[in-house]
Amino acid sequence: MNNSPSRTPGPTGPRRAPILAAHALSKSYGATEALRGASVELTAGEILALTGASGSGKSTLLHCMAGIVEPDAGAVTYEGRRLDGLPEHARTLLRRTDFGVVFQFGQLIPELTARDNVALPLLLAGVRRQAAEQRADACLERFGVRGQAASRPGELSGGQAQRVAMARALVTEPKVIFADEPTGALDSLASEQVLTALVHTAREAGTAVLVVTHDAQVAAYADREVQLRDGALVPEPAAATATARVAGDEH
Amino acid sequence: MSTRHVLLGLLAGGPSHGYDLKRRHDARFPGARPLAYAQVYTTLQRLVRDGLVEVDGTDADGGPERTRYRSTERGIRELTGWLGEITPPAPHVSNEIFAKVVVGILAAAAGEAADPAGHLLAQRAAHMARMRELTAVKTAADTDLATVLSADYALTHLDADLRWMTTTAARIAALTEEITTP
Amino acid sequence: MSTEAPTALAPPGPARVLLTDARLATDLLRGAGRREWWRLGLVAFGAFLATCFALAAGTVAAIPDGHPVRYTNGLLNGSGVRPGLVLALVLLLVPVLAFVGQATRIGAVHRERRFAALRLAGATTRQVRTVAALEAGVTCLFGSFAGLVGFLAARAVADSVQRGRSTPVLPTDIPVFWPGFILVTLAVPLLATATGALALRRVAISPLGVFRRTRPPRNLGLYGLVALLLVLGSALAFVGSKPGLLMAAAVPALAAGAVILIGAGAVSAAGASARFLGNRLVGRAQSPALLIAAGRLQADPWAGARVHATVILVTVVGVGFTGIRRIILDEVNTRQYAASDTGFYESGFAAVGLTVLVALAVAVLGLAVGTAESLITRRRALAAQFAAGVPRSVLRRALLLETALPLAPAVLLAGLGGLLIYGAYTAPFGSELPLLQPLLVPVVVYAACLLAAAASLPLLGRALRPAELRHE
Repeated sequence: MNNSPSRTPGPTGPRRAPILAAHALSKSYGATEALRGASVELTAGEILALTGASGSGKSTLLHCMAGIVEPDAGAVTYEGRRLDGLPEHARTLLRRTDFGVVFQFGQLIPELTARDNVALPLLLAGVRRQAAEQRADACLERFGVRGQAASRPGELSGGQAQRVAMARALVTEPKVIFADEPTGALDSLASEQVLTALVHTAREAGTAVLVVTHDAQVAAYADREVQLRDGALVPEPAAATATARVAGDEH
Repeated sequence: MSTRHVLLGLLAGGPSHGYDLKRRHDARFPGARPLAYAQVYTTLQRLVRDGLVEVDGTDADGGPERTRYRSTERGIRELTGWLGEITPPAPHVSNEIFAKVVVGILAAAAGEAADPAGHLLAQRAAHMARMRELTAVKTAADTDLATVLSADYALTHLDADLRWMTTTAARIAALTEEITTP
Repeated sequence: MSTEAPTALAPPGPARVLLTDARLATDLLRGAGRREWWRLGLVAFGAFLATCFALAAGTVAAIPDGHPVRYTNGLLNGSGVRPGLVLALVLLLVPVLAFVGQATRIGAVHRERRFAALRLAGATTRQVRTVAALEAGVTCLFGSFAGLVGFLAARAVADSVQRGRSTPVLPTDIPVFWPGFILVTLAVPLLATATGALALRRVAISPLGVFRRTRPPRNLGLYGLVALLLVLGSALAFVGSKPGLLMAAAVPALAAGAVILIGAGAVSAAGASARFLGNRLVGRAQSPALLIAAGRLQADPWAGARVHATVILVTVVGVGFTGIRRIILDEVNTRQYAASDTGFYESGFAAVGLTVLVALAVAVLGLAVGTAESLITRRRALAAQFAAGVPRSVLRRALLLETALPLAPAVLLAGLGGLLIYGAYTAPFGSELPLLQPLLVPVVVYAACLLAAAASLPLLGRALRPAELRHE
């Protein structure tokens, strides 16, 4: 419980206690070691980019932190409670109430309209149909796709579908959004619209966002960047030493 | 790109003639414009004037007389200072970063305090910080389109540098081997 | 959960839970595509068939001993042979079950993706299973209700046609036993729901996709065996509950046991031979069609075995039956039995033969559905091959070979198994072993299977459209 690390103070001054922390996570898929002792902290309302090459373990780290995948070793702590080791059912309920998830594509249910897709997490939680649809419409409005509420995912453009997916992730007013290459399949203009909408909405609601991406232009929307290489964090002397050397000017 | 520092870097490995420096420069930086001998000569003159380089001696084995130069203590300090300095993130800077990586590898091989891999990481962080600033400008509530587009221009070019740094960082071991094995 | 979570997100009361799940299930159905409707329609059709066969078995079983009315078909008259007929009708449920199993696989990939998406949206595993079970249950209820209505209608028609005859063809004089009929109508969807839930227990539905916990082939065989044992067990229990029938039931039960063993052997032989053929042919195939088919067999040898299981079983039964029929009819003809006895045997064999034919039809239908399903599932890969320049004719031949290659040794083995059954039966008679008629059966079955596989080929044209290459 109490092993949330205070190893890395942030680049800028003291940081608040993390809302979500991964500590020394390891995870293997067969012979492949996806994670080897990765630690990341996310503070409330922070937008954090997790970058790295393909196969560096960034998606696995996101899956572990979202409670979708159980790590082999290490701890995931959410609001002071251990997430790993919780039964699947409890993790599902937590994901439903406190987390939102956006993937590259394919997370919308093709049989349901955009409105029903967004209302789905509410319906699953037992909210009445009418109330759920009203909240879904409000959320679609915020992402600028209210006009597509009655369309099914197959009738939406890629950018619209991702905005619907984001509306669905945010409709329950979660504390953390997990986004795995949310714009991976989009062109740069659609990508910009989707990310701007996400950042604005998250800032307004104080939602923390963990965004996994290989694209620096996407990572630039975040407050901070953490790099992964071969399943472990790339040590970050980066910003600190860089400023020190420029400022110090030794001789 | 700073020819001064590149020549200082090439001299870090040991004393050398002007013509030899030009030849090694052109071999190390195949993408860059070949150095004119006159440019090498004037740069060396200035380095000597500033006390960063001194004359080591002259050779005349049969042919014309050639002056041999070597780096001074101050020259080494100047070189490591430059290697550690972050290049201001601006569009079209990768050429200078590349020079620093190559010269850094040479200097490190000669036993000087240079860390090209760490430098790439630091440079990458500086680029990211600049890109974050530009993105913040771009996504601010009432930014006009002209500002957004000019930020986009800079962002796209910085992103190109950054991609180059990422792939170079991943292949720095291979590059070091290529440069340090004769 | 979190202290500030909106109150609306508090877990709903148990009463609302089922309602929510049911609403979700109907929403999903409302937006379902054509593929889903095909699946639901075929599953409902399977439930329809199952209900009809079960009701027919029930009606025959309800004929009391010493019933004064004589029927034209001797099998309905003798209290000694009637349980055999009931058993045959009950065994018809096996190919029907296999057919339903095949139909539920239509669009499985698509459905599994939907399950994962549901989980991603925050549905618990239980909710996803409930949605799936409700869908299966309601679909089958429609089917079984249609079966009940259809059976009663057919019964009424038959009744009006044969009214007044002294020797009716069908036992329409036996009154409808309503509690039993309603029980059957409800049992079919309940069983379907239970099997659906059971099938989903094997898979872990995670938000990232659906994973098989264990190797599917072993489990499928196991579940098939369990289902067969259940059917057999209940049939035996029914027969055993009437003293005196036990002996009469022993022979068909033994025969059924042999059928199952040989069938299971043939299924594993189909899988093994598919693997063997795949491994062998991949390296040596000269024609591209053969190479594609062999690669597919090597990659998933059990895919074919699943589809072919019932075909093989029916072949075993068919060969055994045809052999026994020939032997007995020869015996009856040479020994100069009374004409009435000859008639008894002939009408009896006609009834059982019809049952076997129905079973074959259902099995071949299942095979056609299976081939179509596999084609639809792989349409993207097929479209990619087509786009990359593989001619349509090569793909067509490859698809046919996928069915033809592994089925050939399996049907051959099944034929030999059937030969074994009726050979053992012939031993006490000491007569000559008939070969021509019974061994024509595997040939006919094989041809029927190829035709069924060919029948799914028109779908290939649709599967190869470039639109299949787009993201869904």
